[in-house]
Amino acid sequence: MAAPEAAPLVNLTIDGKKVSVPKGTNLIDAAKVAGVDVPFYCYHPHLSVAGNCRMCQVQIKGQPKLAIGCNTTVAEGMEVLTQHSSKDVKDAQAATLEFILINHPLDCTVCDQAGHCKLQDYHYEHNARPSRFLEEKEHKVKAEPLGPHVILDGERCIMCTRCIRFCDEVTKTSELGMLNRGDRSVIAINPGRELANPLSGTVVDLCPVGALTHRDWRFNTRIWFTEQTETICPGCSTGCNVKVATRDGQVVQVKARLNSAVNKEWLCDEGRYGFDRFLPAKRLSAPLVRGQNSTWDVAATEMAALKGQDVLVFVAPDLLLEEYFMLKALLGKIAKSAQIAVAYRERKLSEVEAVLVSPDYAPNFKAAEFMGLVGGNLTSGYEEALFKLRSGSCQAVLCFGDRSILAQDLDDTALRGLSSARVSVATFTDATSKFAQAARVSLPGRSILEKSGLLINRKNRLQYSARCVPLLEGSEPEWRLMQRIAGACGAQLTAAQDDRALSVTFLGLEPRLAGLRIASVKGQGVCLNSYQPNAAAAAGQREAGAQA
Amino acid sequence: MAQHPSILLKNIKQPGQHTLSGYESRGGYSTIRKVLKMEPAKVTDEVKTSGLRGRGGAGFGCGVKWGFIPKGNTKPVYLINNADESEPGTFKDRVLLELDPHLVIEGMLICAWAVQSNWSCIYIRGEYGYPYTRIKAAVDEAYAKGYLGDNIFGTGFKHHMVVHRGAGAYICGEETALLNSLEGKKGQPRLKPPFFPAAIGLYGCPTIVNNTETLAALPWILENGGKAYAAIGTEKSTGTKLISASGHINKPGVYEIALGYPLLQFIEDECGGIRGGKKLKAVIPGGSSMPVLRADELAGVNIDYESLVKAGSHLGSGGFMVMDETTDMVEVALNVAHFYAHESCGQCTPCREGGHWIEKIFRRIAHGDGLGGDVQLVESICGQVAGHTICAFGEALSWPAQAFIRKFPDEFKHKIGDALVGIRSKRESLNFEYEGAH
Repeated sequence: MAAPEAAPLVNLTIDGKKVSVPKGTNLIDAAKVAGVDVPFYCYHPHLSVAGNCRMCQVQIKGQPKLAIGCNTTVAEGMEVLTQHSSKDVKDAQAATLEFILINHPLDCTVCDQAGHCKLQDYHYEHNARPSRFLEEKEHKVKAEPLGPHVILDGERCIMCTRCIRFCDEVTKTSELGMLNRGDRSVIAINPGRELANPLSGTVVDLCPVGALTHRDWRFNTRIWFTEQTETICPGCSTGCNVKVATRDGQVVQVKARLNSAVNKEWLCDEGRYGFDRFLPAKRLSAPLVRGQNSTWDVAATEMAALKGQDVLVFVAPDLLLEEYFMLKALLGKIAKSAQIAVAYRERKLSEVEAVLVSPDYAPNFKAAEFMGLVGGNLTSGYEEALFKLRSGSCQAVLCFGDRSILAQDLDDTALRGLSSARVSVATFTDATSKFAQAARVSLPGRSILEKSGLLINRKNRLQYSARCVPLLEGSEPEWRLMQRIAGACGAQLTAAQDDRALSVTFLGLEPRLAGLRIASVKGQGVCLNSYQPNAAAAAGQREAGAQA
Repeated sequence: MAQHPSILLKNIKQPGQHTLSGYESRGGYSTIRKVLKMEPAKVTDEVKTSGLRGRGGAGFGCGVKWGFIPKGNTKPVYLINNADESEPGTFKDRVLLELDPHLVIEGMLICAWAVQSNWSCIYIRGEYGYPYTRIKAAVDEAYAKGYLGDNIFGTGFKHHMVVHRGAGAYICGEETALLNSLEGKKGQPRLKPPFFPAAIGLYGCPTIVNNTETLAALPWILENGGKAYAAIGTEKSTGTKLISASGHINKPGVYEIALGYPLLQFIEDECGGIRGGKKLKAVIPGGSSMPVLRADELAGVNIDYESLVKAGSHLGSGGFMVMDETTDMVEVALNVAHFYAHESCGQCTPCREGGHWIEKIFRRIAHGDGLGGDVQLVESICGQVAGHTICAFGEALSWPAQAFIRKFPDEFKHKIGDALVGIRSKRESLNFEYEGAH
């Protein structure tokens, strides 16, 4: 996140520890600076302050009542006591938890949220006592679908209103509201409406408890049986930060991660519920030559014909930055000349989609630009290349990735262009792809979900996408396939043996990224518009590059 | 019986007082004509001199509140007459709205001039059907006569007035919930800070919210001067107050008394004593959200802000409820707790959950299912609700509950003592301590 322009610093103490934070910071964030986690449910940094959960109460010296951290901004000389140093605060937080839980069904054993539930976490951290509530609990609406993706359990709800505020303030669709009063209050859908906006699944992420759950993924697994990976959604060039839970190689839940500079904590339904669309049901797992199962050796013999050719290259917009780098090296070493196109088309977005979604399905087209493979108007470059392919005059064609030529563009003329070339190589994952029949050589590539590496989003933020599903035997990442092509033509590209080694090598060679390591890109990413490469490291890299 | 100055109720029994002609025939609308020639700041000063305090319950200085409008404000200033009188035991504004509506309108116009507001709203409790028709008719009459509108009394001062009915929520008497309700939102109180709508109120503009009774006192104050008003009552509790007397008394009704009047004398003289010659047991002096006072705590207590605070309660809205010796205090506690549980807006956790919890415990006790530790549990819940909520509702539900269990412990003990042994063992089986609050 860009630093707030010269907001004056305010000095205060939190639990006796001195901190200086920019003016306007609230006490939850200020406490974070002091290393104190003030618990909260209803607060969200990108939604309006509701102040209703009362979990973030802190004590401010000189004030008679406890204050809520979310709605209190820092002031010079303020002395703040949190649960670590004030008994009143500790008691108030414990009491709040007891209050929240008196009407809660405590059905953790069947609740999808169990294991990643803030009620559970905070209960163990701040209360952890049996309830004193012996009365009949209030009964509310159960298993009420709010829309195509989201289902409500009214009894688990703690009325934090994050979902309501999201629909009011972010999507501005206002489907949700609060009905009734007191402990009969429930979240409800407004009359005649349906929670069907393109970002509707986000309310489930925002729900700090198990009140809102995904209809698609309900009851499919306990979260502790899953493997969770922090990665980037490859749906479009927004590059939303996500956490993907998988079990037995299947994607079982996708959750947005907080990144204020990218997706805040939102995620679109198309990206979320379609996350596994990048893993086709039938996979290509061995090379094909002229549509027939073959071996790597036969494929290599075929590919040797690429050497010294004028090559037409179609490259998918969802390869890794490292792979674009490798492609550049490959073409430099084997081709006489190359015309490169990245499959980029824009679509029209609805008003709500435009809040988050980018008008493309091209998560990493920026990286292709960054490596200088393509430039100018990408769509017309792509269409020119298609025109050339369809004219049937190309002798050598390379296609990298399932989306190197978009399905709607892969018509009969284009396929004829591919099959009539003297040599054509396509890498893809889907065994049912039309490429399989038309390309001379088909190589089993890997889905973006199976690779780890760098992506650059539409706003020029470098992010790290991590592999989140197990690898398919026989398939290879595109960069390795490029290496095989180079090998077939008698050249050598890299000594890297895995994705990670390649990323490290690449970061070591690219002067514009000098000083970056994988660890520094993970998490929140790095904005390339403002990144100043480490000068010394850059000089070293130029030297290393010259020697190589 | 003491003679009390009659400021608010002076003309309510006069025939036709609710009509404009009737009101004017007794000198109505003469003060506002004079006020409109005064400097607005002078009007505010006069009200400050009078020491008039908000009659809605909080008792905040009226003129002081007006002064919170930011200096150099360029936004419109709104004036709200809070007539959402819903505090159990309080029915004084109703009398004014029904029987002397033009007094209320004149008071509002005086305030409007003082704060230079061109738009006001009477937010009237939804259940007040008859008072609504009366005040609405009065506003319509005033419009027809040019006393409201773009050019009132031909002075060029513009003031429009809207009568808005609430939809049946007690919480909308809380001023920020009232503003949300007016804006078309759910009637839930706003976060503090900002502490005063006078800075950021209706639609983000400076807004003065005053109780009906407060506004109705303005014509007299401006007519007779702030000093004359301050001469009535005590030093800090000036003027007269309407008391809605109800309960086990011979003459329930709305009484106007000079503040500082002895409480017991009020029961004996004005209210005609306890019905059937029974003994007095307890009094809730300021509406059901205020702590109850036992009969033995009442000696020497006067009806004014300070004296009642000293006695451990508050003047509040002046909802004066008297209970005789036949009253079952557990039932009263349950009744009050039920009201606040029902009316909690549900926005913030402690009040939403705590209110109903207290009610359920009281209900159990009242039904003979009380358990050892229940009283301490209620005490602990109250301690964690009061002061931890967005608005003062947390106090409104915990103060009375706390007062009932503290002041009538024997009655609770007696009921719990009757409880079935089997149920009692349920709590003992939980095997943990109830000592103290959280």
